[in-house]
Amino acid sequence: MAQTLTLNVNGVNQTVTINSSEMPLLWVLRDLLGLTGTKYGCGIEVCGACTVLVNGQRERSCVFDVTSAVGKKIVTVEGLSTDADGKKAQDAWVTNQVPQCGYCQPGMLMATVGAMKAGHHGKEIASELQHICVCGTYQRISKAIQTL
Amino acid sequence: MTTVDRRAILVGGGAVLVVPVTLAASGSLKSLSGATASAGSVAAPVPATTLGAYLQIDGQNKVTLFVGPSEMGQGIMTGLAQLAAEELMLDWSQVSVEHAVPKFPTNPYSNPLFGLQLTGGSTSMRGWYLPMRKAAATAREMLLAAAAQMSPNIAWRLAQGGKVTDGANSLLFSQLVETAAQLTPPASVTLAATRNAIGQRLPRTDIPAKVNGSAIFGIDVRVPGMVYAAVVHCPTLGGTVASMPATASGATALVNLGNGVGVVASDTWTAQRIADSLASKIKWTLPANTGSRDSATIRAAGLALLASTTTVPHVYETTGAVDAAVALANAPTKIDATYELPYLAHACMEVLNCTASVTSTSCEIWAPTQGQALNIFTASAITGLPPTAITVHTTFLGGGLGRKFDQDFIGEAVKISKAVGKPVKLTWSRKQDFQNDMYRPCAAIRVQAGLDADKSLSAMLYRNVSPSINIQRNTKPGNNPEDTGAVAGATDMPYAIPNRRIEFVPNPADIPLGYWRSVGESYNTFAVESAMDELALAAGKDPMAWRRSLLAGNSRALGVLDAVDALSGWSVSAAPAGSARGLAFLKGFGSYIALVAQISLSSGKIKVGKMFCAIDCGVAVNPDQIEAQVQGGIVHGLSATLWGQVLFNAGVPNVSNFNNYRVLKLNEMPAVSVAIVPSTEAPGGVGETGVPCVAPAIANAYARLTGQRVRTLPFYPGATMGGL
Repeated sequence: MAQTLTLNVNGVNQTVTINSSEMPLLWVLRDLLGLTGTKYGCGIEVCGACTVLVNGQRERSCVFDVTSAVGKKIVTVEGLSTDADGKKAQDAWVTNQVPQCGYCQPGMLMATVGAMKAGHHGKEIASELQHICVCGTYQRISKAIQTL
Repeated sequence: MTTVDRRAILVGGGAVLVVPVTLAASGSLKSLSGATASAGSVAAPVPATTLGAYLQIDGQNKVTLFVGPSEMGQGIMTGLAQLAAEELMLDWSQVSVEHAVPKFPTNPYSNPLFGLQLTGGSTSMRGWYLPMRKAAATAREMLLAAAAQMSPNIAWRLAQGGKVTDGANSLLFSQLVETAAQLTPPASVTLAATRNAIGQRLPRTDIPAKVNGSAIFGIDVRVPGMVYAAVVHCPTLGGTVASMPATASGATALVNLGNGVGVVASDTWTAQRIADSLASKIKWTLPANTGSRDSATIRAAGLALLASTTTVPHVYETTGAVDAAVALANAPTKIDATYELPYLAHACMEVLNCTASVTSTSCEIWAPTQGQALNIFTASAITGLPPTAITVHTTFLGGGLGRKFDQDFIGEAVKISKAVGKPVKLTWSRKQDFQNDMYRPCAAIRVQAGLDADKSLSAMLYRNVSPSINIQRNTKPGNNPEDTGAVAGATDMPYAIPNRRIEFVPNPADIPLGYWRSVGESYNTFAVESAMDELALAAGKDPMAWRRSLLAGNSRALGVLDAVDALSGWSVSAAPAGSARGLAFLKGFGSYIALVAQISLSSGKIKVGKMFCAIDCGVAVNPDQIEAQVQGGIVHGLSATLWGQVLFNAGVPNVSNFNNYRVLKLNEMPAVSVAIVPSTEAPGGVGETGVPCVAPAIANAYARLTGQRVRTLPFYPGATMGGL
């Protein structure tokens, strides 16, 4: 049944109407709010491309119940540059020329920033990054992470 | 809301400088791996021979380059911009790059090596290096001529930052471009001798957008009035819709696509969910022959053809005074090895998707495509509209890997939009993407080779039995179909093998086939380089020394061997205790590459510690991106070597997502070091070049480490990958 929710995304309250409470946060962000930086990769929380922050925690938005995001602070890649950790991570990605196709990188960045917020630094972040990059940018991701 | 409308950008920004440069069509379609069959599978237009409409200079003196090749991670936008920046002395900060919208029938954005706008075969830099430089140099001369016309008494010369100067006065390109666009291009131009951009590690033009979420991939396209669609295909490959429900709850339309049903709904998730639920409600007509779609049957057929003495093979190369079989029979020492490789999926991070808007008079497509020229024909055939009514907007590709040449996902979006009369974004689910791939062909390859009494290599008889991409696509119709790409990596080997014969026998399997990053080399190099190692062992030679002796006099081949030897310490120090090294070499894609894998065992399984790679790709336009491509190619090769496999049970693929199609993760990444051998030769390909040597280098290291020769890939079939 249609349901109207208010979500706080990147510091802005947005109202959306969903036609099923089972709709994952990923598709609300992408199709209903037009925030397409968060990517669909596998839909089964394996690849990590859809990672966002919910109250600072890393979440795989492809399986994240949108109704449980209500009242929480959602941050997507579009909101990363206004976050100090986010900006630092983005800069490290640019300095190390990490992305190739770039499709998985929003998820990589969100997970990295989430790990930073959880108190991880440098190499510790790498073990938190169980994401897939088919281009194989891992070596540069590792290098970028060393600086965080 | 982000919308993509490159036409608006084109006409809105500033004067468009059209610089026609006549190109000789160099290289036939047939001679290039990668896009050959796709290109031939439709009525190809007369190959385009002009380059133009590529440069735009706006009022802020920003220069935008419109490029034909698709940016799918290989960094071609950046590389081509470096060529233009060199010729025009542009500051890097003033350059941006956009995908060009193809024109019809004469398309200035056609790949100069194909005569069609296609991206593949690691040809973009190879094809565009001189044409782009010539075009930019032509633009430079026209801008100088415009300055001379506007201020005739001044001795203008080009200056850094997109301007002309005489030392005291200067004029920006933005002040010159409208006059320049009216001038006749010079008949010939001199290319810049400087190396301020070419050869420099300039940052990629697309990275800022790829770290802040603003980069638009196909899946991100949003156009006004758009509806969302998903698709369910017959679970058995080759099946078609017999009957289907007319409606489904929550769907605004169901569209019969022949081999599947398109579902239109309010959003992608709803459409995908309905599509999933429809699989069991649609009645499917299964193909009559599922045996040719069954892995066990296909493998048995392949091995029988490999051994057959009655089958007449296609012979794609013979060398030597003596028939290879005779020379082999006379050889005192022989090897006879059979190598087997599986079907593989592309598994691009971005699933197949396409946005289409069909009206009675026009068709507009936004897609992550490697085959713009083909999209036009696909859409024209479906809509009945002339090609001139079709507009193709290329988005960023979340990986292409050869899959996005194909037209299935493009055609489906066009059909659905035509049926519902609205713009439609079609997004395949990951399961549909895995289960309806155009798979890398499986292969069974037999290498028989002989050594003379002095342990020199005297003969090689090479037979590849694999399903043929070209035959399946009927690109060589008639009863003598050919697919020289099937033996790419085995033909034109630079090794001195006096008597050799390279044969191909098609396996008549019915699994849909496609181009997979490095195509024929992805399987032939495994056989060739494994066999080279087995021969070195049989000859009692060090594998590095063995290859050097067979490549004597070939300075570029020896150059990469020397470089990888130095990088890995092959000749000066043994591998660390518990480790072993394996070597592989390839001349392919216009480049030379050598790879050393250093592996150990962890819980009995391969742990890849380090990879050392040397590449000679001619002029290294952007060394940083070449390193990135080689690193990435190695990752792609590692995933395939260790785990990559798709099996078919009566036409049903056994993989459906990344949890049962394992690929390398960050914590499994070996340390890869790359040496680029300096060269002034014409640029070679780098996008695919890093892939083929991985499997043989690993297998050769494994043989050295364990004494066991693995000739069947992957090493660890049936691997799965967990979640978080």
